[in-house]
Amino acid sequence: MYAVETKNLTKRYGKTWALKNLDFTIDENEIMVLLGPNGSGKTTLLLILATVLKPTSGQAKVMGIDVSTQSTRVRQIMGITFQESRGFWRHKPADILRFHASVCGVPKTKRDTLIEHILKDLELWDARNKLFMHLSGGQAKRLEVAKVFVHRPKFAILDEPSSQVDLRGKRKIWAQILKMREEGSTILIATNEVREAEYLADRVTVLDKGKSVVCDTVRQLKDSIAGGDVVELQIDTSDAQNLKRALSQIEGTVKITNSSANQFKAHVSMAESWVPRMTDVCYRSKARILSIRVTEPSLDDVFLHFTGRTLRRTSDE
Amino acid sequence: MSNIIRLVWFDLKTELKPPVWIITEWVVFLVQVSVYGAMISQLVTGIDNYNRFFAVGLVIMITFGLASHIGRHFVEHAHEGRLPHLLSLPISRSKLFLTIALQGGVELALMLAVPLTVTLLIIGNLTWISVVACVLTLFCLGFGVAGVMLALSFIAFKSSDLYTAIVTGLSIIMIRFSTVLYPLLFLPPQYTSAAVFSPLTYGSDLVRFILGFDPSYLLHPLYAVSVLVALSVSTLGLGLILVQRLVEGVKSA
Repeated sequence: MYAVETKNLTKRYGKTWALKNLDFTIDENEIMVLLGPNGSGKTTLLLILATVLKPTSGQAKVMGIDVSTQSTRVRQIMGITFQESRGFWRHKPADILRFHASVCGVPKTKRDTLIEHILKDLELWDARNKLFMHLSGGQAKRLEVAKVFVHRPKFAILDEPSSQVDLRGKRKIWAQILKMREEGSTILIATNEVREAEYLADRVTVLDKGKSVVCDTVRQLKDSIAGGDVVELQIDTSDAQNLKRALSQIEGTVKITNSSANQFKAHVSMAESWVPRMTDVCYRSKARILSIRVTEPSLDDVFLHFTGRTLRRTSDE
Repeated sequence: MSNIIRLVWFDLKTELKPPVWIITEWVVFLVQVSVYGAMISQLVTGIDNYNRFFAVGLVIMITFGLASHIGRHFVEHAHEGRLPHLLSLPISRSKLFLTIALQGGVELALMLAVPLTVTLLIIGNLTWISVVACVLTLFCLGFGVAGVMLALSFIAFKSSDLYTAIVTGLSIIMIRFSTVLYPLLFLPPQYTSAAVFSPLTYGSDLVRFILGFDPSYLLHPLYAVSVLVALSVSTLGLGLILVQRLVEGVKSA
């Protein structure tokens, strides 16, 4: 059984299709990252799985429970952090977490210890008695994700969990997410931050215009781009042309250019198997490798490859 | 049940620390009755001791104001992004709406505690039966008005400015064209036909009947009870259906 399964899931707002016949699965105890620009349907999918929105058509199940017909049961096993934390202007962080934990059924004996631990870990302890309206954007965001960390649900949904948060805060949030997975939670994250996706994802689903474009592990997605890895070489050789020809014949080579007699730039598939072959070729050609620099494609390149657009550019549109 | 109480208390406790808004409402009521009501009752000759009539009218207006506020509050929650959070909590929709209704009821009870007691004392009818009957009538009126505001909330999802304008206009009309401040008998015919459409007419006339006012210038109590019950059940039901459909079908976050 999948932890999450959608079939032909569709959501329309008037004439706009937020999701279009989406088929999508998440395995149990997996971190699935939804990657896509603003308006790609990420948040709509999260809100449907959280039973906040109802789908226009199609089916979605969480742990085998239908989100449309058994929404209360779904809410009892899941927790969500929203993109923005709003609405509790006159409450204090500690009170908000205490309330959330009690409504979500965190045992009273554990509640205070857990809240203290999470508040300290996310560096919110000193702000625990401030009014929500006096928190900074980063603090409000950390408080929003803290709700799920205190709850520790079987299925956790996080919408852009580290946006507006500084790098140190991001690391702490990511560490908590990984810890939750270790403890058995299934986690769905929506983000348009490539680094976050690379750091956390077991698998990535690229969403674009309400459709799943591709879904795989980060490694597989990167490897699926022919010539995606770039190997920059500095080689001491007396015959650059012959060496270039020999290098271009190595399996996995897509393109080789040389900016000067001993500077080569190779676009290859799977650099990890290409580089040993390249050293072999150089050895046989009596060429001396002075330096090697390997750059693998980012998830932005993956998005570009599958949609023809970059994430950053699409998000700005 | 414990989650319902938790939800009600979570919101209410911030309102009560300190309870400025409730105390302000009480003070305004006391000033209105002791100054304006006392003065104007010397000028009004058609009704015996107009201040008593006026005090009941003020209680009805407080009920109306708070019920409108509760209806609007729900819509504001949707716009502020708080509603998605409430909708994602592990409680059923019916319990969530019950929570909102209960919270409104508790706020109304707190708000009316002093004005209603003072009114009953002025009228000299402080009995258990009169208190219970008045509270039930006011709650029924409150649910009806909150339901009207909820039913109108579909406008707010298109434009909150338009919603505010309509609700404000409607509030003015519903209070002025009603028997809150003057009996139906004394109204000119063109005003009377408008007043029978205001739920406040039925609420104020029923409360006055319970408190022993002259029934000759009040609507028949059975008529008032039927209208109030029908209003509260239908508008609250319609409001909840509309809100549920709107909230879960519209991206409100």
